[in-house]
Amino acid sequence: MNGPRPTTRSSRTRVRGATVAAFVALAPLLPAAAVAVGTLKADAALPYVCALPSGPLPVTVRITADLPERVAAGEEIRPAGVTTTVELPAAAVADLTALGAADVRAESRLSIGVAQHEQRAEAVWNGTAQPVAVPAEGPLALATTGDVPSLTTGAAGDLTLTAGGLGIDLVPSTAGGGATTPASLSVACAPAPEAEGRTVVATVPVGAGTDTAEPGTPTPPAPSAPGSPSAPPSPGSPTVPSPSSGPPVPPLTPDPAAPGNPGPAGRPKPPGAGLPADRGLGTADEDAPGTPAARPDAPRCVTENPTPMSLSAYITGYSNVRKQNGANVIPVSCVLIEQGLPEMEFREDGIHLLTRAVGNFSYQGRKQSPPFEATFLTFGFAPTTATLVLEQAGPVVIDSDVLLAFPDNIAETYVRVPLVLRVLDVKVNGTRLDVGPSCRTERPLSSPEPQPAKYPGDHLTLLGKGQLINGTDAVGYLLTSGGPLTGEATIPAFKGCAADRENLDRLLTAAISGPGNYVKQIQGQTCTILNELPTADPQCTEDRQPYVVPKPER
Amino acid sequence: MKKSMRNLAVVAGAASASFALAAGPASAVPSTVWTVSPNPASITAVNSGNVVLSVNGIAMTCTKSNGAGTGASTTGNPATVGQITSIAFGATGAPCTSVLGTVTAVPTTPWTIVAQDYTAATGVTKGYVGNVDAKVTVGACNFRVTGKASATYTNSTGALAVNSVAGELTVVSSSGCGAAVPVGAKPTFKGTYLFKSGASIPTIVGSNP
Repeated sequence: MNGPRPTTRSSRTRVRGATVAAFVALAPLLPAAAVAVGTLKADAALPYVCALPSGPLPVTVRITADLPERVAAGEEIRPAGVTTTVELPAAAVADLTALGAADVRAESRLSIGVAQHEQRAEAVWNGTAQPVAVPAEGPLALATTGDVPSLTTGAAGDLTLTAGGLGIDLVPSTAGGGATTPASLSVACAPAPEAEGRTVVATVPVGAGTDTAEPGTPTPPAPSAPGSPSAPPSPGSPTVPSPSSGPPVPPLTPDPAAPGNPGPAGRPKPPGAGLPADRGLGTADEDAPGTPAARPDAPRCVTENPTPMSLSAYITGYSNVRKQNGANVIPVSCVLIEQGLPEMEFREDGIHLLTRAVGNFSYQGRKQSPPFEATFLTFGFAPTTATLVLEQAGPVVIDSDVLLAFPDNIAETYVRVPLVLRVLDVKVNGTRLDVGPSCRTERPLSSPEPQPAKYPGDHLTLLGKGQLINGTDAVGYLLTSGGPLTGEATIPAFKGCAADRENLDRLLTAAISGPGNYVKQIQGQTCTILNELPTADPQCTEDRQPYVVPKPER
Repeated sequence: MKKSMRNLAVVAGAASASFALAAGPASAVPSTVWTVSPNPASITAVNSGNVVLSVNGIAMTCTKSNGAGTGASTTGNPATVGQITSIAFGATGAPCTSVLGTVTAVPTTPWTIVAQDYTAATGVTKGYVGNVDAKVTVGACNFRVTGKASATYTNSTGALAVNSVAGELTVVSSSGCGAAVPVGAKPTFKGTYLFKSGASIPTIVGSNP
């Protein structure tokens, strides 16, 4: 198994900030009245266009979800059974087979516009899929599932959910289980022009006496001819313009209790909570009931004597241990970064904007991750818990390469860092074994390196991909706004692990060491001292720590 | 129309063609009397489609932007028929973005709405947004942009379509941006805002009595 096992995942707040909407309040909550609830089966198959390596291709995206047939004002709407199925045409599959892919694992991020009357918000429905075989020819359906943010509105009236942009991350693997080159593809998709007016996925009446005569109706694609944008999505449900084309209407308030959103209040208020008068009329912040809550607990992450080029960020995620057929969480870790100046380079394919940044992990003054526990079975039967830490053996080097192919901007960022895995403590069957003070991998972790001559030596290499297409929002990994970084690690043999004269090197090496361990880390929005400007989405706490604490994603 | 607006939102590159069509032919005699209705007008504005600031090929996209201002009848040519007293770029959960990261843009207002040409047949006023001044921060890169941005205002829709051409806006200070956004760079600013005065759409009519 190359990828992590699917499980519940948190919504990633907008690769750029989009904490939108783990839970969106469209208006102040009102006392909820009892409303009978049935299940509304939403099922919409929509034409999309995806930017694949071979060019833009039409795909069919089917979105299914179970929603309450009707809710009371203030009552939570919790979509269940959300499945996004992307039917890649044969031409798109050919892009995968050209890479030598035998299997592919997919993750999806579907933007859902939420609208009620004049209020609008946006949620992201994330999904993951089990690896599926890539056919030699013909189409391929990738069905992703996942938990999605709940919604709440305090006002009565129809609440419409409208499908928007779709991001798909494809991680192909070869027949031998190895990574292809490139190791992953990030594909941006948007509703095709012929989908206009047909993108409403469902309409949920809110309140006992709403302006909809019938209870909630799923809104499948209207049987109108392509190119008839005036066709109503369904009788009785308002036409909801695309979130990107409609006027924004405050207040749209993330719920602090929702996953992916800032945590409990009581922490220092972020900058920008009180906006100056010229911040603008009717911004969400101004009119929202309350200011953004303080962030969840996280290790201290402060740059001493920062410069304007200083960035700080949290990063966390999963790392598979292939031998154990499982994944471990690498806890929220602080990285302090000094960004270099961007440089322009003219190449055959266009102008590249190259930026190098150098950073270090920071945990209680040491260049390492916080300690974390990993539990596994040694030799398949002895439950073993190890306390581990990732120690730096050199700086974190972050190279961003942005292709400026206006109006599109395509970004690739490689993060390289030599990390040694140190074992602090081991318990086998509950019995503590003293591994000594020098129990580590004998070398830093390593990865397949696309430029081994330029970047010699053992180091972990993670890749983040981001892009901005045609004046739409930037998506994917971008150094200053964060996002997913993926790669593959080889864990070397352990050395120096001894308990009461008993050498544990072989035990740990046999249990953990080996190649092909998929790594997926999520970096949060960076904080910079320049973030004194008021911002709708806080980037720093008042004491200049990163405001955004990411959550691991499968 | 809906379809064309959608395309406008998505395809920044197509914006100039759309605006050129909207501008229409200029009137033969320049207007010198400008009638704003209501007068004075208290104006609110929200974006229709994405607002895009581009510098050296780097696009910065705001999916949400809104503002407020005033309008009043006046005379002269060019004539300041209105002011944008506040404007916000981005909103909670929808910050402006770019491949350099999340963008924060803080304007120094007021910006002016200046009328130059009016075409009675279409109800379109051609002019520009003047006194533009904003500080923009992207990660460690921050710069200040000033100048003006060509725009048209359409009475029938209340749409102020801003479509600056290279040279109207200039980066006057820059730090931490390297070659990406040097001082002297000429950004462009494109976006459409829908104006309302209360529940109605304010109008601008030029005449030459």
